[in-house]
Amino acid sequence: MLSTLKRRVGEVLLPGDEFSYDGDDTISLTEPVRPEKVLCGPGLRRSGDRLLVCKSGVLRHKQPNVFWMDCQQKRYVHAKGETVIGIVTVKSGDVFKVDFGGSEQASLSYLAFEGATKRNRPNVQVGDLVFAQFIVANKDMEPELACIGSSGRANGMGVFGGGGLLFRVSLGLVRRLLSPHSEVRSDLEQLFPCELVIGMNGRLWVRSSSVHQTLVIANLLQSCESMTPLQRRELFTRVQQGAL
Amino acid sequence: MAAGFKTAEPLEYHRSFLKENCRPDGRELSEFRTTTLNIGSISTADGSALVKLGNTTVICGIKAELANPPVEGPGKGYIVPNVDLPPLCSSRFRPGPPGEQAQAASQFIADVIESSEVIQTEDLCIERGKLCWVLYCDLMCLDYDGNLLDACIVALLAALKNTQLPDVTISTETSAPEVNLEKRRGLHIHKHPVATSFCIFDDSVLIVDPTAEEESLATAQLAVVTDEEGRLCSLHKPGGTSLSGEKLQECISRATVRQREIQKLINKVLHSVKTDQ
Amino acid sequence: MAVMEARCSSSVMLREFACEQNFLSQPDGSASFVHGDTSVYAGVYGPAEVKVSKEIYDRATLEVLIQPKVGLPGVRERSQEQCVRETCEASLLLSLHPRSSLTLILQVLHDDGSLLSCLLNAACMSLMDAGLPMSCLFCGVTCAIDADGQIITDPTAAQEKESRALMTFAIDSKKHNVLMTSTKGSFSVNELQQCIAVSQKASEKLFQFYRDSVRRRYSKTL
Repeated sequence: MLSTLKRRVGEVLLPGDEFSYDGDDTISLTEPVRPEKVLCGPGLRRSGDRLLVCKSGVLRHKQPNVFWMDCQQKRYVHAKGETVIGIVTVKSGDVFKVDFGGSEQASLSYLAFEGATKRNRPNVQVGDLVFAQFIVANKDMEPELACIGSSGRANGMGVFGGGGLLFRVSLGLVRRLLSPHSEVRSDLEQLFPCELVIGMNGRLWVRSSSVHQTLVIANLLQSCESMTPLQRRELFTRVQQGAL
Repeated sequence: MAAGFKTAEPLEYHRSFLKENCRPDGRELSEFRTTTLNIGSISTADGSALVKLGNTTVICGIKAELANPPVEGPGKGYIVPNVDLPPLCSSRFRPGPPGEQAQAASQFIADVIESSEVIQTEDLCIERGKLCWVLYCDLMCLDYDGNLLDACIVALLAALKNTQLPDVTISTETSAPEVNLEKRRGLHIHKHPVATSFCIFDDSVLIVDPTAEEESLATAQLAVVTDEEGRLCSLHKPGGTSLSGEKLQECISRATVRQREIQKLINKVLHSVKTDQ
Repeated sequence: MAVMEARCSSSVMLREFACEQNFLSQPDGSASFVHGDTSVYAGVYGPAEVKVSKEIYDRATLEVLIQPKVGLPGVRERSQEQCVRETCEASLLLSLHPRSSLTLILQVLHDDGSLLSCLLNAACMSLMDAGLPMSCLFCGVTCAIDADGQIITDPTAAQEKESRALMTFAIDSKKHNVLMTSTKGSFSVNELQQCIAVSQKASEKLFQFYRDSVRRRYSKTL
């Protein structure tokens, strides 16, 4: 199956397409036989002895054996370990309720902040923006966020905001921005120095030297969604030359 | 033990029966519940019938009124079916405007009347472009235990056969209709459509005449309506898991057998009503 | 906008159909589908928060709303909603999003025959656009039998009116089995089997069209 999957990487697949385990496998006599394991990412499901595509998109592959469907989806579905931008909606006792744009609100304990103790409560108000990661995220339980990593450090997470602008983009663009050598990001850095917070839930927060520049950046990022790399570079050069 | 099993794992409970080709109430997979029919139960209606299919009870009353014919068909009358699922018949129905199931059932009945041509609407016309009959067919479910559509169609058909319309003449001087309640005649029933409902369990097992519990656990439902000539008047499968061609054929054969059974039953009851009078 | 004319060599004739995905900004998934002059818009919201009264503990609640071109939705729309909803439920993997709600809104723009199949196709495309997990795809095909016993696929409103029987099928992409049927008029068993066979043939064209239009959509990110 691994070979069939690898052959179709980069192709557009539709829900209902299947890969079966058996097929072109030949047992090599010289190499030790290793059972092939496939790690399924989002959009792929195992059903019996088959692998089922359940979202439309492009099949992607990461060495050695991770496969997933790259899907242009708008609605965020939470997953463990992902970092998101949330808005505090309710403050009740020991937990805050945080809206992150998913199907339900996540809870955030007041102790899940760097340096927080029972005496030393963090200063969080309703309406504040938080950058946090999921520590509990499965379909049967209430999602739970934390603003500290496993070592107890904030790692950039926590309450932020003030003077910036929050806006929404597609999940696909967020993933493009977050990829290690993102061209969009590096192009933007050259254009305007700014502070940028990227939530996996499709929310972006920008702050730069002036309100005008912040708005320009927000508009540029939103228009990136429907542009090819070439068109984007053209636009960025135009802006650099003072088109806006 | 069995009761606990049934409450905790209703689907497993049913599966264990279906594995042995029988059902929790002792029926075989292709066996109907006992159908009882009472015709002419409402004396104030122009036609009526009460049907019991196991516990499911549906009563149908037909009220005939005079009206102007529709503009698009001056030589036609109307038949207006309405299915009511009051909160009385099951805890799943709430008071208020009709829910989706009741509306879908009404639409299904209307489609069957139109498709099967059980009554030709031309027969309801009294004077072209001036006067026609409107038949209001009200179907009320008194006890809901699954298979509403089958019961409704039987009740409707029996009630239509029972309907006696008074004679109407239009007086030449005043051109007002004169109804002669003494002189009545029956409707001309062209076809005898009968519905047979099925449920599909676990994408493969086919059962006939489902109870309310079986309906809620099944993965798909379908209703086949046939007339006495073996033609299909409706094949209604609102969705759910898919059905292969052979299974469909099986359903149609069962439906034709059922059609004969019901037609015989209706005739028998009608006959006994007549001999009683 | 992807347009395909489907007048190929085989006997199955379909009108020109077209589809556009993701054309609305607010819904999580959207699609417009056109069969000749019949045109439908679809929008999907979800998985979103669910009302407590409609919550199902082990799967998502799917709600389908059909808006007619003029006036308020009536009994006919309710019955169509039921057909579309149960077809979608069969192909969606609802158990992956328990205690959440999915709302599918279908707006009829113009009805020139084969409306139910157009609704089904728009629904499938918008669900796919929303990225909801599905076990298979489905498509709708309408067949009419005219007075001479000829089978017309994808009839116009005028052809529907003249027909003796009208059937709409929803067909799944895996085994080309029938998921949903809705019929009008009387017909023989043989005619039914023929219509199913014709629809299955037509469904292959539709599924190929689905694939082509999704490919076009993702062409930028390939």
